[in-house]
Amino acid sequence: MSRLMKSALLVCASLTLVACETRNIVSSPVIRLDRQVNYGDAKGVELVTNEFGSNDLQMIAEKMVGSLLETGIFQARPTVTISTVKNKTSEYIDTTNVMNSIQTTLVKSGKVRFVRSIAEMQQGVDELQRQNQSGMYKQGSTAKVGKMTAAKYTLEGELTSIVKQSNTTKDVFYKFTLKMIDVEEGTIEWQDEKEIRKTSKR
Amino acid sequence: MKIAKKILLVLGTTLALTAFAQHDPGTSQAVAAKVALRGDANGVRVTEIRAVRRNDILIVQTDLFNIGNTDRTVFYRYRWLDSIGSQVGDGESWKQMTLMGQGQQTVKSVAPSSVVTDFRLEMNVELR
Repeated sequence: MSRLMKSALLVCASLTLVACETRNIVSSPVIRLDRQVNYGDAKGVELVTNEFGSNDLQMIAEKMVGSLLETGIFQARPTVTISTVKNKTSEYIDTTNVMNSIQTTLVKSGKVRFVRSIAEMQQGVDELQRQNQSGMYKQGSTAKVGKMTAAKYTLEGELTSIVKQSNTTKDVFYKFTLKMIDVEEGTIEWQDEKEIRKTSKR
Repeated sequence: MKIAKKILLVLGTTLALTAFAQHDPGTSQAVAAKVALRGDANGVRVTEIRAVRRNDILIVQTDLFNIGNTDRTVFYRYRWLDSIGSQVGDGESWKQMTLMGQGQQTVKSVAPSSVVTDFRLEMNVELR
């Protein structure tokens, strides 16, 4: 066999290997433990268990923000505050986290102004009192009391779940409902839901 | 020598084709330009993309069709771009979706800000 023929065959073998490698079997963006410690994709699909996870939180926030922005209810850049988010599931879930994600994305969109929620109000009151009553600040540089802007709308949410399980399967259905209520009129101006189904083998 | 050249030519062409022919042949070029597909489409055809600007916000819907008879698992997310092609925000979370055999699903998303003027649908398809 000539030298050229041998080289050609060698190159062919290499190309075949590369072709097999690039034969389009790719990894999927799911959270897996490949090493003992691993930095993963924070936006990946987390399939460690079928309990409420990071991906669920992100999907809920994205759906709600998208739905709110799509309606055009924020045309006049109204003021909004966050009210309660009830967790009616059997799991411990920090629902504030969901609302924080929603608020972050909405604030970044520039379409809406958020005012302090009930949970954040005490800190605001404390700071106003410190500036106005401690006597430590120059007059005219302090924030005035009674100048806060009230919220036109309030966001109220609820997370529920339905769990079904057999000997082999566990199915969890989550439903997140969010309402935007006109504070003055008490009318529901917008409402949407995000449903998530997670099924696992036991 | 001629045989060696021929083998090289054929294998080179095959390699080039496998590297680029990822989209389903039924996916039009205009649609494929908006889809960043990793790996093989595995029989999932991107039939249509609809983008509309409503209330100064870009809204995108993409129709995916599974031409196979068995289920496919699709991982996808939209990547939002501004007028100069820079990414807006951190990017969406990845979503997993089961596309049943001969089934069609629409994946919809709304841009997070008014500065978004363009998008890419990132996706990969698992056979199951």
